[in-house]
Amino acid sequence: MPVSAHTQVTDLTPDAHACLTFGERDDLLDLTAAFVRDGLASGLRVVVLSDSPQLATAKLGWREIAADAAVAAGQMVVVASADGLVGAQGFSAGQAMDWLRDQLTDSRRQGYEGIRVALDMSWALRPMTGIEELPVLEEEIAAAVSGAGMSVLCGYDRERFDPVTLALIAPFHSHAVAAATYYDDPVLRICRQYVPPGIRLAGEMDFLAAEALALALGEAIRIDGDITINMANLSFIDASSIRMVTDAAASLDPSRTVVLRCRPAIEARFAQLGADRLPHVSLVGVDEG
Amino acid sequence: MKGNDRRPDPASPGDSAVLAEAQADAGDGQARLALDQAFDSGTLYALRAAVQAHASQAGLPESRTDDLVIAVHELAANAVRHGAGAGRLRMWERDGAVHCQVDDSGSPASDEDVGPGGNVADRWPFLPGHGLWLVRLVADQISVFSGPGGTRAAIVLSLSGNDPSVPAPD
Repeated sequence: MPVSAHTQVTDLTPDAHACLTFGERDDLLDLTAAFVRDGLASGLRVVVLSDSPQLATAKLGWREIAADAAVAAGQMVVVASADGLVGAQGFSAGQAMDWLRDQLTDSRRQGYEGIRVALDMSWALRPMTGIEELPVLEEEIAAAVSGAGMSVLCGYDRERFDPVTLALIAPFHSHAVAAATYYDDPVLRICRQYVPPGIRLAGEMDFLAAEALALALGEAIRIDGDITINMANLSFIDASSIRMVTDAAASLDPSRTVVLRCRPAIEARFAQLGADRLPHVSLVGVDEG
Repeated sequence: MKGNDRRPDPASPGDSAVLAEAQADAGDGQARLALDQAFDSGTLYALRAAVQAHASQAGLPESRTDDLVIAVHELAANAVRHGAGAGRLRMWERDGAVHCQVDDSGSPASDEDVGPGGNVADRWPFLPGHGLWLVRLVADQISVFSGPGGTRAAIVLSLSGNDPSVPAPD
């Protein structure tokens, strides 16, 4: 198992107030996608707050979440930060809580048993009046979720928020959530991908991290169903690592599809080494993550 | 551990036109030694970055740059994993091609399965899908010499992408 003191995003309780800290945007999108997917599947209303709602919807789209359909059906809404937590006059904890309570009231009125709210907190990095009330907001959310059938996932970029702010807001959360990580150094990152299930590699992969890759692949193939190896942000992979991925794919029952998502140059390399000859492996070229 | 602690002497390859050419290349005024870098397991990343930068500068198309980076990486990885654990890359450009030479002071390649031909490239384990097999696939020429002084692997990649004089590998 990867070393992690965190709660899995898939294990959050219906009244969780979770603090998701991420180092890469992919982590935020992936963990938010898992939170959204499970919420939709449980028949809850889902509210996603993002700086760029269109992009967020598109990114949920490739992760096999029918975001457009859920929005059309009224089960999900994607809101721009400026239309949600942040008012025209700046930020105030009271106003933000009013918006959040409105979401809960609306969803109850529409007959939903509960609501999941995913908040990308990047808006709080911008200079604005009232931002010193951020800890007040987090404290009030903690009080509001209790017994309300509302769970809130607050996403904080751990590289961009200062440690003092993170230390101030963390205690108001009931759970800490982060991607399960198998390998992380300045050159390479290997972590679990939640939606679609599999693993994600970013940076440069070579034989020196073979042990971590083997562990990650081993865990991925033990879960049921299809697997995606997301290498969209991988710029180099050596022959031994390609072979390890290909061998893991080949070891799976052919009824399970393995999607290798990668940049064209790496896609070509996988094909060169024969990965495209496995009938249940599909190479998908992407420009970026 | 520093990569240049064990910088090998040039291998002792015996007579070889290719090596002679390589040494002449490195020495003559027309061929510019673009890169001379020691490596070990901790500096493979830096080695790839240096090769990439120099290949781009030499005007290699992007796909050929990728080929060169992975070929050098696999040769260096071979030295790290199966040779001395460290080595030295020299890279230069001449006559429309990039030449790379990877030296390590490790023990000679296996004597098993000796094939005909002038250098030990013929008996390197080119297992399909493995690193050295990939090197042979992307490089226009490859030669490997082993001797008491270590192993020297040399590859040539044409700048344009194809060398019609060299048949494609099996």
